[in-house]
This record gives sequence, structure tokens and C-alpha cells, in this order.
Amino acid sequence: MNLNDQKKDDFAKQFSVGLVLFVMLLMVGVILFQYAPIIAFFWLSGLGFGYILQRSRFCFVAAFRDPALTGSTAVTRGVLVALALTTIGFTAVKYFYHLTSQTIPGQSYIASIGMNTVVGGIIFGIGMVIAGGCASGMLMRIGEGFEMHLITLVGFFLGTMLGNNHLQWWNNHWMWIKEGVFLPDLFGWAGALIIQLLVIALLYGLAIKWEEKQEL
Amino acid sequence: MDREDQKNFRKWFKPSWSYVTGAVLLSVLQVITLIVTQEPLGITSAFSYWAIRLQDVLGFGTPAQLTMVTQLLGARETLWFEENLVTLRNLGIILGALLSALLASQFRLKKIKSGQQALTALLGGLLMGYGSSIAAGCNIGAFFSGIGSMSLSGWVFGLFLFIGAFIGGKLLIRFLI
Repeated sequence: MNLNDQKKDDFAKQFSVGLVLFVMLLMVGVILFQYAPIIAFFWLSGLGFGYILQRSRFCFVAAFRDPALTGSTAVTRGVLVALALTTIGFTAVKYFYHLTSQTIPGQSYIASIGMNTVVGGIIFGIGMVIAGGCASGMLMRIGEGFEMHLITLVGFFLGTMLGNNHLQWWNNHWMWIKEGVFLPDLFGWAGALIIQLLVIALLYGLAIKWEEKQEL
Repeated sequence: MDREDQKNFRKWFKPSWSYVTGAVLLSVLQVITLIVTQEPLGITSAFSYWAIRLQDVLGFGTPAQLTMVTQLLGARETLWFEENLVTLRNLGIILGALLSALLASQFRLKKIKSGQQALTALLGGLLMGYGSSIAAGCNIGAFFSGIGSMSLSGWVFGLFLFIGAFIGGKLLIRFLI
């Protein structure tokens, strides 16, 4: 049997296991749906999220790391496209709730800003590069078969436990803007949307220029 | 499965999607998630939830959120995943990636190569866990969902993620490669 045949055999085997898994995952979805549709939604959206991440090799770590490390900005530009599209989608949804005088969804994600945001960002940035995966990437790679990321998950859990116990201290001493800043409150809905999209476009342009500079 | 079938399946499931395709699909998923669950995507709140529960069981310390969780626990008889549906979604991410890898025959069991690699993995996880729990989220919750929600915190977090990733890259070159 030559190498090519072996590859095809492996494909058939993994594909068959994949089909069985697919049916099982859907069955779990149906059972959860009977229990409560919202629970089934969390399940199915997770599966979709993982599938998309793996199939498109979407990696937030690479987006931050590669421009300086390898000079490539392909993933970075992908992330910027996602930021722009999600901004437009979220703003449309939020504006609709605002117009119809309903509670705007997802406003708990307008997080407070303080020294914890700065230190947390730097620490998280270092951690994700040396572990070779952030939270979503780690989960995705566990699914792909990386044993190493199971250890990362244990570390993540222990780090979270420590951070939870320090959170009060950070909040008491290092908080700058407790209620956070929702940009439409500053610039109006249209103004905030335009400014944010312009910033993303500017970063996109910089990413293209950066990559061109590396190739020279 | 005959040869012709195999060829067709390969064509469908083997090629990777472009980053832009991924970006479009992730954004669609984000918007649907915001509408259905009234919150954007997030991951790390699940780790926080279980860390607090474990600490409660072990009985040491009382972080501020502990009371909230114990109230929830005492409130009703529930399935384990019902109190924190994000955990269920995270499990879905792992299995969704496994499904995708299998259908493309890209699943490989990658063993840990050395003690150093294991230590690096643990250290990276510790740093991410601490960072995300004090900064209210990770690349998804605090950065992607934060900026998508037009929160200034998302931009601040993103800027310092970039600086952290730069430092991490230097460390990687200096000590590990």
C-alpha cells in the first residue's frame, strides 16, 4: 500500500467516526431542546463556534502575535473584518431595542476600565502567546487532539481562582471608570459607529502597509 | 465508501475556509447569540463559575461573587449545566472543533513532548486565567464582544493584549525556540 492509499484510508476512517459523532451531537441537541430550547441553543451555538474556528483556522493569538513575530497580518485582518461586521450587527440590534424603548441587550459587556484592564491585558497577552492559544483556541485545540492544551486548561482554572480572590482588591484600589464607557453615550449612535468603523479601517490599512514593508 | 464518494466528501470537508469566511460566520453567530441569549459570546465566565464553586466546596476564602453563586445553588434543584450555560457552550466548542477535525481527517493526538512544554502550557494558562479574571474576560468576551458592543474597555484591553503578545513573542524567542 503506498502512502496515498494510506492517506485515503485514514480519511475514510476519520470521516466515518465524524459522521457518527455528528449524529450523536444532534441527538443530544434534540434531548436538550425538549428540556428547554435556550439550553439547546447554547449547545448548538457552541458546536457551530468550534466548527467555524477549526475550519477557518481563526486564531486570535496569531492575530496579535504574528505582525511582530513573522510580519504576517492575514489573521489580523480577518479579526478586524470580524470586529467591523460584529460592530454593525450589534449596533443594529442595540439601536432597535433603544428605539422600541426596551432594555438594550448585552450591556453587561460594557466593562469597567482600570489598572486591572491594563495589567490583565498584558498578562493575558503574554500567557496566550507562550501557551500557543487563548481561551477559544485552547478549547479548539483540545478538540483537535492537543494534550498540551489540557494542561493549559488546568492552569487557566487555577489562575482564575487566584484572580477571583484578588478582584476585590483591584476594584477597590485601581478602578478608573467603574461604569465603563459605552461609546454611543459619548458620540451618539451614528457618531460612535462611524468613528469605530474608521478606526478599524485605519488599522486594516496599517496591517496591509506593515505586511508590504516586511516583504521588501 | 467508494472512491467517487470519497473524492466528493474530501472536496466538501477538507479545504480550510478563508479567514474572511470565518470572520463573516463568527459575526453572524455573534449577532444571533446576542438576540437569542441577550448577551454576546463569552467563555471565561464558565471558568470563574466553577472556580468559585470549587472554592465554596473546599471552604476557603470568600470572593465577592461567592454569595451570588451560593444563592443560586440554594435556590432550586437544577441540572449542573443549567446554572452556567456557558459551560455547556464551551463543551460544544471542543466537540464542534473535534467534529470539524474528524470530517477533514485532521484529528491527531498530539502528545506532550517534554516537561518544559508542559510547564510552559501550565504557566501560559495561569497567566491567562489571572488576566481574564481581573480584566473581565478573554479575547472573546472582553476583546471581540467588548469592541463589538462599542465598549471602550474592549479597545483598552485590546491595546494591552497587543503589548502583552509582543512581550510574549520576545520571551518565546529568548527562552523557548
